[in-house]
Amino acid sequence: MSRVFRTWIRPKSSAAVLLVGFLALFCCISSLQARQNKRDCRHQIKGKVLDATTKEPIPFVNILIKGTQTGTATDIKGNFLLDQLCEKEHTLIFSSLGYQDLTHHHDDYHDNPVIYMAPTVSQLESVIVEGEAIVGGLESVAVDKIDGTVLENKSTRTLAAVIEEIQGVTMVSAGSNVQLPVIHGLYGNRVLIINNGVKHGFQNWGTDHAPEIDIANASNISVLKGAAGVRFGPEALGGVVMIDGNNLDLSKSLKGNIGTGFQSNGRGFYTKASLGAGSEKFSYHFTGKFQKVGDRNTPDYVLTNTGMDEQSASAGFRYHLPNWDFKFYYSLVNQTLGLLRSSVVESGPLLIRSLQEDRPIIIRDFSYGINEPRQNTTHHLATMTVDWYSDFGKFTLLAGQQINQRKEFDVRRNADLPIIDLSLNTSDIRLEWLHPAVGGIEGTVGVQYFYQNNDNNPGTGTTPFIPNYNTNRVSLFLIESLNRGKTTYEAGLRLDHESNSVRGREVNQDLFSNVYDFTNLTASLGLVHQISDHWKLRSNIGSAWRTPNMAELYSFGQHGFKTQFGLWRYYTNEDNELRTDRVLTESDGVIEPENGYKWINELSYDKESHSLTITAYSHIINNYIFDRPVDVISTIRGPMPVFIYDQVDAVFAGADLTYRRRFSENLRGGIGFSYLWSRNVLDDEPLINQPPLNLNANVSWKTPLFMGLSSSKVTLEASYTFTQFQAPRTVKPEQLINGEVIVTPDSEIFDFQDAPGGYFLSNLRWEWKRNRFGGNIEVRNILNARYRDYLNQMRYFADEPGRNILLTLNYNF
Amino acid sequence: MKINLLDSLKKYGLYMLLITAVFLTACGDDDEPEVVNEVEVITDVTLVFTNTADANDVVRARAQDPDGEGVQELAILDQITLTAGATYTLTYEILNALDPADVEDIGEEILEEDDEHQFFFSFSTDAFTSPEGNGNIDNASDELNYTDTDDNQNPVGLTTSWTAGAALTGGTFRAVLKHQPDVKTSTSTFNDGDTDFDLTFVLNIQ
Repeated sequence: MSRVFRTWIRPKSSAAVLLVGFLALFCCISSLQARQNKRDCRHQIKGKVLDATTKEPIPFVNILIKGTQTGTATDIKGNFLLDQLCEKEHTLIFSSLGYQDLTHHHDDYHDNPVIYMAPTVSQLESVIVEGEAIVGGLESVAVDKIDGTVLENKSTRTLAAVIEEIQGVTMVSAGSNVQLPVIHGLYGNRVLIINNGVKHGFQNWGTDHAPEIDIANASNISVLKGAAGVRFGPEALGGVVMIDGNNLDLSKSLKGNIGTGFQSNGRGFYTKASLGAGSEKFSYHFTGKFQKVGDRNTPDYVLTNTGMDEQSASAGFRYHLPNWDFKFYYSLVNQTLGLLRSSVVESGPLLIRSLQEDRPIIIRDFSYGINEPRQNTTHHLATMTVDWYSDFGKFTLLAGQQINQRKEFDVRRNADLPIIDLSLNTSDIRLEWLHPAVGGIEGTVGVQYFYQNNDNNPGTGTTPFIPNYNTNRVSLFLIESLNRGKTTYEAGLRLDHESNSVRGREVNQDLFSNVYDFTNLTASLGLVHQISDHWKLRSNIGSAWRTPNMAELYSFGQHGFKTQFGLWRYYTNEDNELRTDRVLTESDGVIEPENGYKWINELSYDKESHSLTITAYSHIINNYIFDRPVDVISTIRGPMPVFIYDQVDAVFAGADLTYRRRFSENLRGGIGFSYLWSRNVLDDEPLINQPPLNLNANVSWKTPLFMGLSSSKVTLEASYTFTQFQAPRTVKPEQLINGEVIVTPDSEIFDFQDAPGGYFLSNLRWEWKRNRFGGNIEVRNILNARYRDYLNQMRYFADEPGRNILLTLNYNF
Repeated sequence: MKINLLDSLKKYGLYMLLITAVFLTACGDDDEPEVVNEVEVITDVTLVFTNTADANDVVRARAQDPDGEGVQELAILDQITLTAGATYTLTYEILNALDPADVEDIGEEILEEDDEHQFFFSFSTDAFTSPEGNGNIDNASDELNYTDTDDNQNPVGLTTSWTAGAALTGGTFRAVLKHQPDVKTSTSTFNDGDTDFDLTFVLNIQ
């Protein structure tokens, strides 16, 4: 860690500096602009038109530039080219007999649009897929996308549960309501969540705080599996999950959707609606959703207090002028999430009993009620984006503001008081310049200012678990790419300077405070190489970093069933005994930030009816922070196991494979697997809570149409998850308490319970469309398998939910 | 169409400034967390045996975990030494003394929520003539002299009655406070709910 800038600019003055810089840049550009008045007619639009149902090319589609006589038609392969255009943006009108007319607003900054036209008879919507120029500098990183049509029938699931279907992505959870994505074995602060362009600002510590994001507000989700620290800043070690709202297309007639659904497990139901339209200059889109789920059940018993309530809404507006684009987005998510009643264990003896019993200790009849333990969260997100398409490239100013309020209620004497009550405000402002090619080199230069303010609200009746803090970060980044024949090279650099100011209270109410800062340089290097017509290689080496979060530094005492001490809350004395009687600072020993280097390679093959993707990666993380049990102490409640946060060096390596085959027009299938090997190389021992080996297969069949259906598809999915054979040794709490096993701060890592056994899961789904209606009938966990998920911390207490039948119905207009 | 950029800058630059200003007003407070009256943690428990025949004959036995959730070990500071044949009322002082300037009486909270709490005991067999036996931890229906009840007429144990038996040296006396929210009934036992404290003292009778 280099602590270069000891003198830190205060937040207000740094904002001013940014503002002045921004203005200076603008003046500079506009004076350049004034000198350049040549008319430049070298713009062109190249694209392809396909049938939305068959994905076959459509020849002879008429393409007209709105308001002109200029136009063209697609060739036999569906390709078209409009060249010698003098403007950078145009409204294109596509028309062809037998297809719905389509209007598309196109600009120079989106490469090679692919237009999927919907036949007149179908109720499908036409879709436009454009090049990835907007993301910039990430082409060499493996990316997986989930688009809105897939999300439509999954809107009751959490974000993590939806993207779990991507190979190499799993989830960690604290039950069915609290689920976080895992990318290649990393989660929490090591996976960055970008919500509508800005880092989702939430209480991201432990495995029991999930991002407050409702996928019903999202129109597509992308998962980057590489270290994208250069593009997105700290925390993108394992990868990035990007959630985007509706893209607010212009020139689009009024479209809406009303959907509802029911699920048998938990007797859950939801209603959602969306509405949007766009004129030539203005467009808007609204969404709203209401959802309620009661107690889930396993094949054998009710999972008491696992219900949830959720309300969410979003609104997006876009105003377009020649060369200018203004976008505003707001979303609100309000959740009440129940946690398994039996997971609250405050004393060692009850922990022992909970682990020994096959069933949770408290089982009650089904209820929609959500009692303690529960979490109430409200998340507001507002972003504003201004794009300016100048002759000197594209400028984007993005500003985001988030308010996150979280109250957690625990089973305790004062259960009506929240035990955690936090308000977290996040501001994020970014200015990017996508510069025109210079000698074949294209790229983006950006500056970013990020500010976070976390405050404890009084009234909890307990010493705050997380201190109050303010984080300020200023970043500069540069990402460039060069295209040479069949190969595109990418390189990026980023400099972050982060300062933290922390104020907390010790349990005796003495105040402690600290100010510390980090400066870090991250880099990334990658290439995309088209090996042949069908083979493509992507390779990327990237670094990413993150500072230890507040829980990792300052945790003190009990949260959930763990008594935990952060890196700055414990030390060992000369007799190697654990001590927690004072708060440490950097003068007691420097806490290094985590630094990761990830090399990810993706080889893909695509030919007619076969497609294959193999991803292989290796990842070194220095100063990897994790928590582990360390000792048993005698307390007034009886003996308790104690956990500490620790830092080691860790290595991760693994591979994901997906193979898809089209057997015939109507029958498709696929298989996949994900394997991860990980190790604490400092002590040569396994890491805890790493995803086990998973194999999966699916087959889908487009059935003959009946009863006026316009589409009908049946999909069968099956997966086998192995037991985690790299799990650490097992030491039961009673063995610690009765002294059978002695642990010291240097002992090998262990877990309280053996990793659960492997399990087979299967799902069957029928999706159909008829006129304006569409729907879905799905059975998940068909065989009602009893199993426990190694990455769910509730595995200590209860089985996973059993069979679940879901019905959804959508009406599009 | 040619756009005059200076003009458009004049037009929209203002919006940009506004946006920038709005999004940066959220800056800067250095609040400290407020001082908390800690109601969760118990650091000091004292068992108070008062001789029913002589209010001045008080036997106190203290247990202390001065740092609460910290790793410092629990200390049992006293033994319980009772007079053979005497009858005692057992009450408690349950405190949070993490902040010496603001000691919190947790006993009051337990009284307020007595329908969620119950004390259970175990002791050297037949150390007392009343209750007889070894206490109600192993079997909740075993004899015990609760002298208080909650709103549901279930025993609490903030006061209990004890008559010491014959002389005994080095016996044990274990007192456990269970927290049983939504669980406590007339049939709930030591195994229901969670533990607020669980303390074992040396018991002498002379």
